[in-house]
Amino acid sequence: MNERMIHRHTRLSIFMHWFNAFCWFALLLTGLGLIKNEQLNPVGAWFPSLMRSLFGGGENLLMVHQYLGLIWAGAFLAYVLFKRRETWAFLKEVFTVSPASDMLWLVKMNLKMTMGRKGLQRFGLTPDMPPQGFYNFGQKLFAQASVVGGVVIVVTGLVMFFSTISMDNPGPAAWSRVIHYLTVGVVFAGLLVHIFMAAISREERPAFMSMFTGNVSEHYARHHHPLWHAQVATEKDKDD
Amino acid sequence: MKKYAMVIDSSVCIDCKACMASCKVQNNVPRGYWRNWIKHTIPDFSKGPLTRTHFQPGGCMQCDNPTCVQACPSGATYKDPQNGIVHVNEALCIGCGNCIKACPYDARFRHPDKRVPDKCDFCFSSGRLERGLLPACVDTCPTKARVFGDLSDPDSDVSRLLRDKPAVRVLAKGGIDTKPNMYYVAATAPTDWAGEVEFPGAFTVMATLVNPVVKVAVGLSALGVAVMWAKQIFSPDKEESEHESSAPGKD
Ligand code: HEM
Ligand code: SF4
Ligand code: SF4
Repeated sequence: MNERMIHRHTRLSIFMHWFNAFCWFALLLTGLGLIKNEQLNPVGAWFPSLMRSLFGGGENLLMVHQYLGLIWAGAFLAYVLFKRRETWAFLKEVFTVSPASDMLWLVKMNLKMTMGRKGLQRFGLTPDMPPQGFYNFGQKLFAQASVVGGVVIVVTGLVMFFSTISMDNPGPAAWSRVIHYLTVGVVFAGLLVHIFMAAISREERPAFMSMFTGNVSEHYARHHHPLWHAQVATEKDKDD
Repeated sequence: MKKYAMVIDSSVCIDCKACMASCKVQNNVPRGYWRNWIKHTIPDFSKGPLTRTHFQPGGCMQCDNPTCVQACPSGATYKDPQNGIVHVNEALCIGCGNCIKACPYDARFRHPDKRVPDKCDFCFSSGRLERGLLPACVDTCPTKARVFGDLSDPDSDVSRLLRDKPAVRVLAKGGIDTKPNMYYVAATAPTDWAGEVEFPGAFTVMATLVNPVVKVAVGLSALGVAVMWAKQIFSPDKEESEHESSAPGKD
């Protein structure tokens, strides 16, 4: 069957997505390598030692981490400044929730992904999901965490960056490091689920492909994002 | 491998403070700050002409159980395995101040211009040791109260002094022994001035609260993913494969 395709992502947002993914991965690895203290490193002392020998010393690792972090933050700042309308639309979409049906969606989705339809039936729930818009509630939750977390990570990173350049009090740098780490950890926990849902689960495979092609099939849109599909359809009608 | 230490005969210290001045010059220590010190007892003047004050030279003790190193998250403060000196890697340090607080001897200060911790390193970074010179304070001391050397060499002055005479150390209060490498021959005073080892709040919170929280959060998330993955492999729902057949690039 040759399905009609619906445009979902622009090339710029696809680029930003993969740029973000690459930077996150690199910043996570270099950042983890900075925690040399055995009492603190969550994976153990071998990892910072390995990263240090790869980068030729902790000071180089810090330099790469900091400047990559600044480039990453700078790219997003540029996007926000030059694409104000798109940024606003994105934020509005991901922060708009309808608590009752979204919570039901979340519960059902958890059951469906772990126990399947039988799981839903066991709890007396119907297999249909509350209709979702451009993003489903799970995607929204992760997007919210990424946006809020990203801001916190950049601000605390900047505090640490400027600590030895222009700050006269060590306290902000000490606490920024704690908050930086906590925020990275929490967003990373979400990232695991994000990667599984997008790249491994069959459920959202078409959405994953759309992060390369920009398009999804109408069938997928109708079944997974019916509110968005309806909206696209009406707009289409208006155009015709 | 060397193990540098200082053995001090505080009974011959005359409080001339030449060691403090020469250190300041050699290491460009900024105005108002000192890398080393002379402590003294409070004289009891009721003893009249017999009134005595005891002077005690000191500085960073290059501890074998350095709480400053334990408090540094990034390893910017570290103990050099080659010579036992506790260094600060200024390019890696973010100036968080954890190590300054964690030293019970108050041996560190925040450098006002570099904004990183600064302390005695036995004149290592000034290059004196490399050139075969003694630390500036040791070199200068007119009564030779300060003796410097390698404890792993049995023929060094410090090893011989420690072999020949009993020695004491000034220890932190509260039970944590940082195992300082600064020895005082026979006896010294004052000995009660070191503080308690106090790990700063930011470190304690990271070690005891944030780290476990992050591990649990990531662990639960990974567990959830594992369960979903197992379900997809071992008992997939039929409808899902329908979706897949309509995926772009697959039909
Ligand atoms: C996706 C973005 C980022 C990730 C995943 C990330 C990850 C990490 C991790 C895991 C650490 C070690 C934990 C800690 O010491 O707090 C760290 C430390 C640090 N990060 Fe980031 N980071 C990111 C962005 C940034 C940015 C934008 C900056 C700004 C310059 C920055 C600057 C720093 C600094 C200065 C440290 C402290 C290193 C130290 O402890 O000595 N990071 N980062
Ligand atoms: S005296 Fe203080 S600064 Fe020096 S090694 Fe011991 S704990 Fe660290
Ligand atoms: S100020 Fe902080 S980062 Fe720098 S050496 Fe001390 S504990 Fe380590």
